[in-house]
Amino acid sequence: MNIDIKEPISREKWLDALHVAGKADDALEAKLNEAERMLLREAQPKAVYRIMDRNEVITCGFSIEKHLEGCSRVAIMGITLGLGVDNMLRKTQVKDMAMTVILDCGASVLVEQLCDEYEELIKQETEEAYATFRFSPGYGDYPVSEQGRIIRYLDASRRIGLTVTANSLMIPRKSVTALIGLADHPVAGRLATCGECVLRDKCTLRKEGKFCGD
Amino acid sequence: MAIDFNEKIYILDGAMGTMLQKAGMSSDETTTHFGQEHPEILRDIHKQYIDAGADIIYAATFGINRYKMEELDVTLDEAVKTAMDAANAAKAEAAAEGKEVMVALGLGPLGELLEPMGTLAFEEAYDAFGEVISAAVKYGADLAVIETMTDLYEVKAAVLAVKENSELPVIVSMSFEENGRTFTGVSLEAMAVTLEGLGVDAMGINCSLGPAQILPMAKELRRLTDIPVFAKPNAGLPDPTTGAYDITCEQFVETLAGYLDEGINMIGGCCGTDPEYIRGLADYRDSFVVTEARSTAEKQLKICSGSTVVTVDHVTVIGERINPTGKKRLKQALLDEDFDYILSQAIEQIDAGAEILDVNVGVPSLDDVKMLPRVVRQLQSITGLPLQIDSSNPEAIEAALRVYNGKAIVNSVNGEEKVMDAILPAVKKYGAAVVGLTLDENGIPPTAEERFEIARRILEKAKSYGISEENVIIDCLTLTASAQQKEADETLRAVRMVKEKLGLKTALGVSNISFGLPARPVVNRTFLTLAMENGLDLPIINPNVEDMMASIFAYNVLKNVDRNAVKYIERYADAEIGASIISQKKDRALTESSDKGGTVHDIFYCIEKGMKGDTVNAVSALLETCDEMDVVNDYLIPALDKVGRGFEKGTIFLPQMLQAAMAAQAGFDVIKERLAASDKETVSLGEVVIATVKGDIHDIGKNIVKVIMENYGYKMIDLGRDVPAEKIVDVVKERNIKLVGLSALMTTTLKSMEETIASVKEAAPDCRVMVGGAVLTADYAAQIGADYYCSDAMKSVEAAQEVFDEQI
Repeated sequence: MNIDIKEPISREKWLDALHVAGKADDALEAKLNEAERMLLREAQPKAVYRIMDRNEVITCGFSIEKHLEGCSRVAIMGITLGLGVDNMLRKTQVKDMAMTVILDCGASVLVEQLCDEYEELIKQETEEAYATFRFSPGYGDYPVSEQGRIIRYLDASRRIGLTVTANSLMIPRKSVTALIGLADHPVAGRLATCGECVLRDKCTLRKEGKFCGD
Repeated sequence: MAIDFNEKIYILDGAMGTMLQKAGMSSDETTTHFGQEHPEILRDIHKQYIDAGADIIYAATFGINRYKMEELDVTLDEAVKTAMDAANAAKAEAAAEGKEVMVALGLGPLGELLEPMGTLAFEEAYDAFGEVISAAVKYGADLAVIETMTDLYEVKAAVLAVKENSELPVIVSMSFEENGRTFTGVSLEAMAVTLEGLGVDAMGINCSLGPAQILPMAKELRRLTDIPVFAKPNAGLPDPTTGAYDITCEQFVETLAGYLDEGINMIGGCCGTDPEYIRGLADYRDSFVVTEARSTAEKQLKICSGSTVVTVDHVTVIGERINPTGKKRLKQALLDEDFDYILSQAIEQIDAGAEILDVNVGVPSLDDVKMLPRVVRQLQSITGLPLQIDSSNPEAIEAALRVYNGKAIVNSVNGEEKVMDAILPAVKKYGAAVVGLTLDENGIPPTAEERFEIARRILEKAKSYGISEENVIIDCLTLTASAQQKEADETLRAVRMVKEKLGLKTALGVSNISFGLPARPVVNRTFLTLAMENGLDLPIINPNVEDMMASIFAYNVLKNVDRNAVKYIERYADAEIGASIISQKKDRALTESSDKGGTVHDIFYCIEKGMKGDTVNAVSALLETCDEMDVVNDYLIPALDKVGRGFEKGTIFLPQMLQAAMAAQAGFDVIKERLAASDKETVSLGEVVIATVKGDIHDIGKNIVKVIMENYGYKMIDLGRDVPAEKIVDVVKERNIKLVGLSALMTTTLKSMEETIASVKEAAPDCRVMVGGAVLTADYAAQIGADYYCSDAMKSVEAAQEVFDEQI
């Protein structure tokens, strides 16, 4: 289904993603405004979800297992900004790398924002009173190669045009899949720990003594 | 084996997946896998559809292809056999009962997207379809149906695969969203134009929506084409939570009945439908009386890409700039495979208002059979504009037409029999339009009458190859007025004759007219205006020359084409007229000057602030007193260094650094133009190969590095994204490369990076490798054998300085 973009793209998160400290100067502010217009013109967000019994959903790894512990059902979600954004990024790259970087970060912030809203919508529509936060392949030790299975569960290529390559790269590029645990008793979900994370020896945050769940 | 799909109303079958679910398929199983496990269920479902009244049943081969083998426990050939046998068994059973049906080989999307959106190459997609088709032919298919498609390019691969690997009739249906486009942006019109050209036997719409939503689209498709149209809608729209479809059998049949009234004579069902739905359709068919003959589609010249259709019912500008004749910089870019330059030429023309781009790669030492399709692919990765393929080499034309997504123009044939016999078959096969030049083995005839005669011959010949009239464009040839003055008017007369007597569209290259005369723009635009008045449809011009564009916009006002002068006013409301010539609209970025007073800023300031236009002015000013390389070494590089230091300190951020790099780039371009014009060599500090590794298509980081390093004077050989190790090794060996930069953004493609490093090191032990990407750290980079880990673009410059300094 098509979903609406209700909120402007968060400037704070956008600047964060661009590693810009403090406020944008006038030149950057103008670029952000233009980039936002371009993104809103090209993005055609679509999302789909499906609820399955926990035991029907094959998962892989310790992190997701723990995250869904105690949940009887699972909401599987897929969301994408569509190919228009990919096409625009390819074209912009030829002549304007600065704008490309701004658009790329903006699109990432936008898709996360839409995920937040969609996650809320799913939680409202389900009968269970309790739910975990969303958990995506690539986080903890839940391999990105599970992307394909999730897309199959959702029939996402037919329903929202979301596909995956042999290397588990989602296309359109600005897309997210995730699992949300559902239960009739309080569940919290669980953040993965560094110890179980596939990125443990490659993570820059960890080197700086930080934790991605902070 | 031709089937006349117009002969009667055909009932197609209904859903397979829905039926398999009813037969006990679990929710985590795929239709393909379950069907393979239970061929008897497949056969039974086919038979149910036949009994319900289906004339054509789709074998359960939809999801069988080499990219979905994990869903199968058997070989591809065996899987195709199982599915075809089940359908053929049902067909035989029906035949025994006196009912004749046809079995279609079903071909669905491969599951991976083709380039440029995805990573799958066109030829690989072709091969993947080809192997399924070859198998199906062995096991007996009456036709092939390509369905549920969203990418016209993938459809083209499939259609060619059917036509080149079998004799089967082929029908195609695509899936559209409510906005009338597929997920990849294909419109009904682009589908109709392209598929009619490729010679499919019927086309239609299936899946994604219910009959009520598809009806207006089906009607539009019916209006757009003369070939049979079919539809297989879903049983309404699915409930997001339960997945159940929302309309009943009665509602479905009632709505689809309306399709028959519209002349859509093949109907069936997709997801959510079952034999009852099909029985309803068949019963209705039996009571349906054809009332009136359908009107035929209007014949117009249409050209398209995968997403954009241009109808040539107005003066349509073909941009001529991608042609190296007389353009040293473009020639060099083609030889260096500097696609960014070529693409930037395309973007400039698009922004200036070209509707079609001419593509010519004619450089004597270049293999155009390889290069023309490469440039076509590159162009269609960044633009939706249709292309005109410009070559005299039949092989290069065919290679380019094959990989082109949509319907192109071929430029050109002429009145020579052997030229037409060499090129027209490919024009027909790939469904292109063609430009015919009014010359032959005796040269260009002087009079309009003789040129008209050649045009007539070209038209007859094209028709004999099955190319329809509207797809033949005649170029009556512009000669130089200073040398052959009286023939300028002959050209204009010939245009008028072709237009009036043959009813064909006409093209003309315009700027030739003024060679050797002063104030050429005046002559050009006057000739253009005269030519339009005489019936020119497709001027082949440089759209960046605003004067020419202005003549066209003004012409459209005076001819009442541009109603209320809306487009003219939009374009020229703020135009300044200087010395009788409209000032050229500059590249917008170049006008981003800091002030309007014309002060030349300090070049350091211009670059730091990312002011492209001012940087260009500053460089031009410096070149009046300094040597080119002095400007580079004393101004551009130090300015970049200053920005780079700011970036490292955290006072300048990435977007600003890139902005600065782009301003410097514009400065470098001025210098490159100067060097090329004076035939001086561009001095390069060293050649660096850069690529995103196999399996990965994240290329923004790689391109940032490329832009920055180019600024520092390194010659960057950009191999693109998803690059196999072998290709990198080949270039490293061939050009004796000393530094390779690799990028990978995913944990899954780090393996590929490691393998690439190993291959490079094995082939060229003294070649250094630098790596970068979000999932890398210095330790990990060392572990996989990289020499340098670059956390940002400035680090890659440092790595290059180290590598190339130690070699001096």
